[in-house]
Amino acid sequence: MPGMASDAGDQTMIPLSSEVVRDEPEVHPLRLGLRPPISGISISWSRGNLLRVAFFRDHDAPDGGEEDVGGKVVEVRLGGRAIDGCGGVDEARRRRVSYGSVPAFALLQGQKNSFAAVTRMSPYPSLRAEWWENVLDYSKHISSLLGDPKPLLSSVIDDPKTILNKVEEPTYLKAAWELLEIFYVDKQSLAWLPEQLVDWLADYDRLLARESATVHSNLVMLQKKLVSLQVVEDDPEYWEGVSQALAIGWLEIVVKLLRLHGSYQLDQLGDRETENGLVETVAVLVSTMPRMRPDLPPGKLGQCYKTKPDFVKAWEKWREQINKLDCSAFWFQCGHRQTREGLKNLLQIMLGKVNYLNSATGHWMELCISHFLYVRPFTMGLDGTYNLAQKCMQTKPMSQAHTLTGLLIGILGENTEVVLAKCSKAFGPWMVVHAMELLTAENTQAEALLHEERYNLGGISIEELNRLVYAQMLSSEALTWQIAPVYLASCPKQGFGLLDILLYMQPVQHQRVLLKSLEICRLYELESTSSTIMKIAGMYHWKHGRKGSGIFWLQQARDEIRLNRIAQQLFDYIGKSISDDSFKQWEGMIELLGSEVGTAGGLEFLHKYRDYKKFLQHVRDGIAVDVARQAVESLIQLMRSPSTPQRFWLPLLRDSLKLLDWRDRPLLNVPETNLLLSKLQELSMAKLRPDFCQIETSSQDLSSIRLALARNLGRAILEEGNLNLPNIDPHGIHVRAT
Amino acid sequence: MSGGADLQPHRFPQSKAIDAVRWLPQPSAFHRLVAAAVHDVDSEASSVEIHALTSQNPNRDPDLRLRSSWTSPSRITSLKASHKAPLLLAASTASGSLHFVLADPVEGTVDSELSVAAEEGFHRGPISAVDIQITGGGECVSVGEDGRVNLASVGESGVGYRRVFDSKGLASYASVRWGSPAEFVTGGLGFGLHWWDQRRPGGPVTQFKSNWARGAAGIVHSIDIHPSRKHACVVGGSCGTVFSWDLRWPQQPVFLSGSGLSEPANSPSESEVWEVHYDSHIQSSNTASTTKILPVMMCSEDGILATLEQGGESTVVLAEPCAINTFDIDPQNPSDVICGLEWESIAILTRPRDSPVMY
Repeated sequence: MPGMASDAGDQTMIPLSSEVVRDEPEVHPLRLGLRPPISGISISWSRGNLLRVAFFRDHDAPDGGEEDVGGKVVEVRLGGRAIDGCGGVDEARRRRVSYGSVPAFALLQGQKNSFAAVTRMSPYPSLRAEWWENVLDYSKHISSLLGDPKPLLSSVIDDPKTILNKVEEPTYLKAAWELLEIFYVDKQSLAWLPEQLVDWLADYDRLLARESATVHSNLVMLQKKLVSLQVVEDDPEYWEGVSQALAIGWLEIVVKLLRLHGSYQLDQLGDRETENGLVETVAVLVSTMPRMRPDLPPGKLGQCYKTKPDFVKAWEKWREQINKLDCSAFWFQCGHRQTREGLKNLLQIMLGKVNYLNSATGHWMELCISHFLYVRPFTMGLDGTYNLAQKCMQTKPMSQAHTLTGLLIGILGENTEVVLAKCSKAFGPWMVVHAMELLTAENTQAEALLHEERYNLGGISIEELNRLVYAQMLSSEALTWQIAPVYLASCPKQGFGLLDILLYMQPVQHQRVLLKSLEICRLYELESTSSTIMKIAGMYHWKHGRKGSGIFWLQQARDEIRLNRIAQQLFDYIGKSISDDSFKQWEGMIELLGSEVGTAGGLEFLHKYRDYKKFLQHVRDGIAVDVARQAVESLIQLMRSPSTPQRFWLPLLRDSLKLLDWRDRPLLNVPETNLLLSKLQELSMAKLRPDFCQIETSSQDLSSIRLALARNLGRAILEEGNLNLPNIDPHGIHVRAT
Repeated sequence: MSGGADLQPHRFPQSKAIDAVRWLPQPSAFHRLVAAAVHDVDSEASSVEIHALTSQNPNRDPDLRLRSSWTSPSRITSLKASHKAPLLLAASTASGSLHFVLADPVEGTVDSELSVAAEEGFHRGPISAVDIQITGGGECVSVGEDGRVNLASVGESGVGYRRVFDSKGLASYASVRWGSPAEFVTGGLGFGLHWWDQRRPGGPVTQFKSNWARGAAGIVHSIDIHPSRKHACVVGGSCGTVFSWDLRWPQQPVFLSGSGLSEPANSPSESEVWEVHYDSHIQSSNTASTTKILPVMMCSEDGILATLEQGGESTVVLAEPCAINTFDIDPQNPSDVICGLEWESIAILTRPRDSPVMY
């Protein structure tokens, strides 16, 4: 199982840092509020880094009254916050991404299921072709969660010396996600893959600056310098910046920089006419560079061509113009050396001279991009890209492997396992689970690899394993555990088993959490889990003195066995505490039990008992015969009912003495009196049995009940004898004939 | 059921669990105050935060800024605000304590705090719900899972409280609402409702217990009473249930949503209804008759914020992929609704003012 701790040294999944061991041991004082002696302690893991510690009091210890409890469970949080493993995204932000990706993931799984159902019935190849569009929607949605590099300050006045727009710092996570999207999902734009990579680098080149100098970092430095520079064209860094921007296709920056050239200034225009003409020609050439792509975002330069033949024609023409300019005689008339050399340099880059490209780029990805742009502009798709990347890497090796470049190598090498491993290492389980949808979108090979059931993984696939790991991670936190079921439900083999465990792990003492668990059960139709949770909750509340809640949850779970069992305990309690004026307290619970038969198990008795007590109360208040007769009926019902516990027989009879000794006439008829007498008899016989439950009664009570019953019997026999005669019914009461 | 879920709310991610949200009285035309009970999982700290909502300019997104906060000793289970000066908030906690937070009604800063500590005589275990009197001395009624009903109020010498009832755990309460200065209603398990009158102590005056189909019983999570209809309340609970309970016919609840409806298709939700409020934004066609139930808004575990009207008419105002745990309608601007979403954010939506009729 993922995440399970192992004791073997080299098999530990989370290596223990030796620093932790060297530290002073951390002391967590626990406030129990429990009276000693404590007889036992049990320790187990709760979710995350919470430790659940249960303390048990000694059973034999003197009882401290009703309020005393048998033990207590506390949770202890160990260590600090979870370690951030998500490439510079903090916890709250990571949670936000987790939440946001749930609807997209669930939607895609739903689409996948219905898609599978459709293709199974009628395998239209056209449907398959449309599938990647669903994945693209999914990918765009997820990508939007990972941050949107919007301009921070859009100043109204365009500053000519601002060459780089200020944008929010992009995240590695988003950069990696977009890279996957470019290569695996967006089939439509595969034809202009190189251009996509140019765009990608434009957004994320700054992220690569950590290991090596990048064009972006050079331009940032140049930007700072420009403010104080009077004659830009005299500065070699200016020309360096222009050529670097050109090499990786940031044309708008090139043109903007060129227009800062001193020859554009009005007072110099006359003297440097040829020079200015050359600068402007190059700027125009740069801005009209043909590009193999459908469109350009606003502000970007170049001319777009959608089809390859058009593009090739335009490219040849553009190259011809550059060649012509390169051989032009105007260069000899250009007096400014730096300008001449700088512009010539730009032309060589545009002509795709490899050594010029080498010197104008920082790291291998920039070099690679410059090759795409100027050396092999007709590259379609992935062919030969991997070899190119290898070659570029040899030319410009990076001191240490970068997350993004490593990922790119994996993608170009078409090695799904490497891609997954890089994602996992750098961005954690979230990335792996969600990126797998991209990897399998169009790639049947990757699909087979990820969906194959593996013996060494316990019969589950790589896809399922990763989903389980991610779900485990979500489950360990109080705020995200409720989204784990979405991922578990997409695991065909072990998902529901783990979902059960997850639900049982949730603390039932918090009403909200309990209801959340039950809601999840409802959504996934886990009826037996739901009823088990309700039983656990019921027992928890019962044991903690919340009898009403306990009964409610056991009733919801329809757990008659437990209801019957706790009924016995409740009767003990009633026997002690129920007096006529404490009935108000019971009211709430008895109402809860309802009057229907069967919902309350043994507790049904309570309802009837309450009714009987109510009638008795009325009898005491007045002397209405009707009420008294109702009370008798209720008493007989109680005595007949098998759910009435034996120990209540005597108290019931004692309470009904007043009814037995009714002044005007006998209220109980002969069979009713006989029933009560036989119950009394049974009770005295039961005294001899070992399981008899002793009730405090005086023999005086017993004999007075016996006497009352006997008297009533006598009177009833007499009355019924009279009834046999016609017309004698002085009180007009209906008395059942025998 | 008609769908009207095209209103786009403004979302404010909080990085903390939102347990309750409440509108506070509007101090000026330019900004409004909002109180939220939040819980930070990382630091395990709970607090009441007062935020200022600025900019009602339709062209610009509103801004929610934290003004002040008060740290609670335990997770907050219920938060209510008195809309009369001084600005008084009542918060109950999972450990059984009750806190009164006094705040500056203009600046939204916390001035002072008074509390009843979690002690044996008050509540045992979590307090499920509190409600604070809008009029009068701000008397606060609290109910708990322990089955106790207490009244607490801020006096000159601090907070005093007295026990109204103790069911000793035989009944548990989940919700409470004042009806008048002397009366309040509590709700609990099995859709049980109790009507209490302080002038008749000793126990509930009237009670209601559902007796419909087995298994459909649930918990009453929220109660609301309209100031003009003090004889009736509207109740929200488990299984998407919303019903009206009228003291004049205490055994005949009228269903607006949920299992008691003849056509379950009319219920916008099937899970826990966490909160209900009368929705004064919708003008009902016949407000004169006191038998007609006024329109109600509810939020639910399955992410639905909807308005309900008698006769099974319902309109979904907002449908979220996560639970909507709490919401409040601004009494001064009933078109504005604030919600606390399960996924650590607050959403504020403004309904069009010009079409307050049924959708």
